[in-house]
Amino acid sequence: MNKLQANICLICVTLCWSTEVIIFSCIPGNVLPFATTFICNAIAAIILGSCFYKRIKNELTRSGKKIILRCLLLGVLNCGYNTLYLYGIKHFDVSTGAFTFSMTVVVLPVVLITMKKTVGAKTWISVALVLTGIITALGGNITKISPVGLLLMLLGCIIRAVFIVKLNDFAGEFDSISLSAFISVFVAAISFVIWLVLQPETFAVIPWSGTIIASLFIHAYFIIAFAQTLNIFAQKRATATGATIIYSLEIVFSLIWGTVLPENLIERAVLTPFNIIGALLIVSGSVIEIIDINGKRRGIYDVKKN
Amino acid sequence: MTLKKINPPKPVKFCVLTALLVAVYLIIAIPFKVMSVIPGFTDIRPVMLLKPVFGIFFGIPGCLAFAVGNLIGDIMSGSLRWSSAAGFIANFLGPFVFYLFYMKIFKKPFYLRTIKDIIRQLAVIIISAVIEAVIISPAVKLLYPEIDMLLLFVTILLNGTVFPFMLGIPLMILMQEELGFKPVL
Repeated sequence: MNKLQANICLICVTLCWSTEVIIFSCIPGNVLPFATTFICNAIAAIILGSCFYKRIKNELTRSGKKIILRCLLLGVLNCGYNTLYLYGIKHFDVSTGAFTFSMTVVVLPVVLITMKKTVGAKTWISVALVLTGIITALGGNITKISPVGLLLMLLGCIIRAVFIVKLNDFAGEFDSISLSAFISVFVAAISFVIWLVLQPETFAVIPWSGTIIASLFIHAYFIIAFAQTLNIFAQKRATATGATIIYSLEIVFSLIWGTVLPENLIERAVLTPFNIIGALLIVSGSVIEIIDINGKRRGIYDVKKN
Repeated sequence: MTLKKINPPKPVKFCVLTALLVAVYLIIAIPFKVMSVIPGFTDIRPVMLLKPVFGIFFGIPGCLAFAVGNLIGDIMSGSLRWSSAAGFIANFLGPFVFYLFYMKIFKKPFYLRTIKDIIRQLAVIIISAVIEAVIISPAVKLLYPEIDMLLLFVTILLNGTVFPFMLGIPLMILMQEELGFKPVL
């Protein structure tokens, strides 16, 4: 996979993530997010485990405990930022929360600097554009932001930034499919424990129906097994900041879905000039990161170099 | 692997491969039947991402599996109608356009490594989607005049373009560059 291909894959991953709202709209509100996280990650782990059993076994023999410990760390970080987002987003309306969620792109370069890693000028320009986009999209709502909510979201963004940096490091070290499978296993295990504590009746609470089962399966194979694995493969060739800038496109995709999809699938989004300008700035920030300013042609030979 | 050891005759391999691909198609398609745009006629179909994948990586068995998978999907979701015959033909031709293009017209190894490759692939995706929409929409309109043909045409066109482009291309990159799948062309 060359850099262009990695960026295309990251855009695809972001697109898949943006559909999460649509898929979960079929699941009733009384089903805890920890329940869906557990079920979907467990299904994804089973799918990956059964399809790539030999590959995972080989990687486990090669890297031993190392991969397990790394994935445990990633699993904890993943559950950490998702939980913070979950409680943080309750302090915002849907669109404000979604734009606040994109703050990771601003936090990540700072996290990288604290980890003594370099961040290029092009990346800073992209980050500035994306940040301006987020602030513009928030528009008048920026004054109404709850400090508690903002703090939770900010903490979530910091943990997510660390997760992305670590994932980026580990992607070059281990087999991507094995990483994806083990991350799913740990996320499932941690989510199950939280679910059990919050809702001891666990499975009995879920009003099982064909629609709920279908939504859980779609989320499991489409967003976790496929997008998460694709993301790890792409991270081998992309930088952590580059990936995060592309992830910020998620809000743009969500706005598009809210505008074009029928009401029975998603809550219709009311586009304001602020939203549109904000989205355009986010897109331009991503384009700057994706496009090779030096104009180098990337072809078959770059694969060997990479 | 087992198949290679036993070395079964070609028709058996063809049938087994087709059946496997039909199963893959159905696993992806069936859950999405809950999201309906025009109930009974068309839905949001991310399974269309498999169209170029089946045509390019599996050839004729892939094309056949795509058509059969769609037909079985119609049966299982209770939406089997006379227009499903047009659907069968269109869904065979959809992946076949990719097979035909890379085999007979382009005649170079299939890669998605440069912007040029991606644009070429997008062009084939659009041609394939237009062919499908042109076959299915008039057939449905002829049999069920109450259906909004324009909406159906646009939905088929979007399903046939957006998913193969946004999801199919990354999946093919993953298959070819990282998982070692080789195009049949």
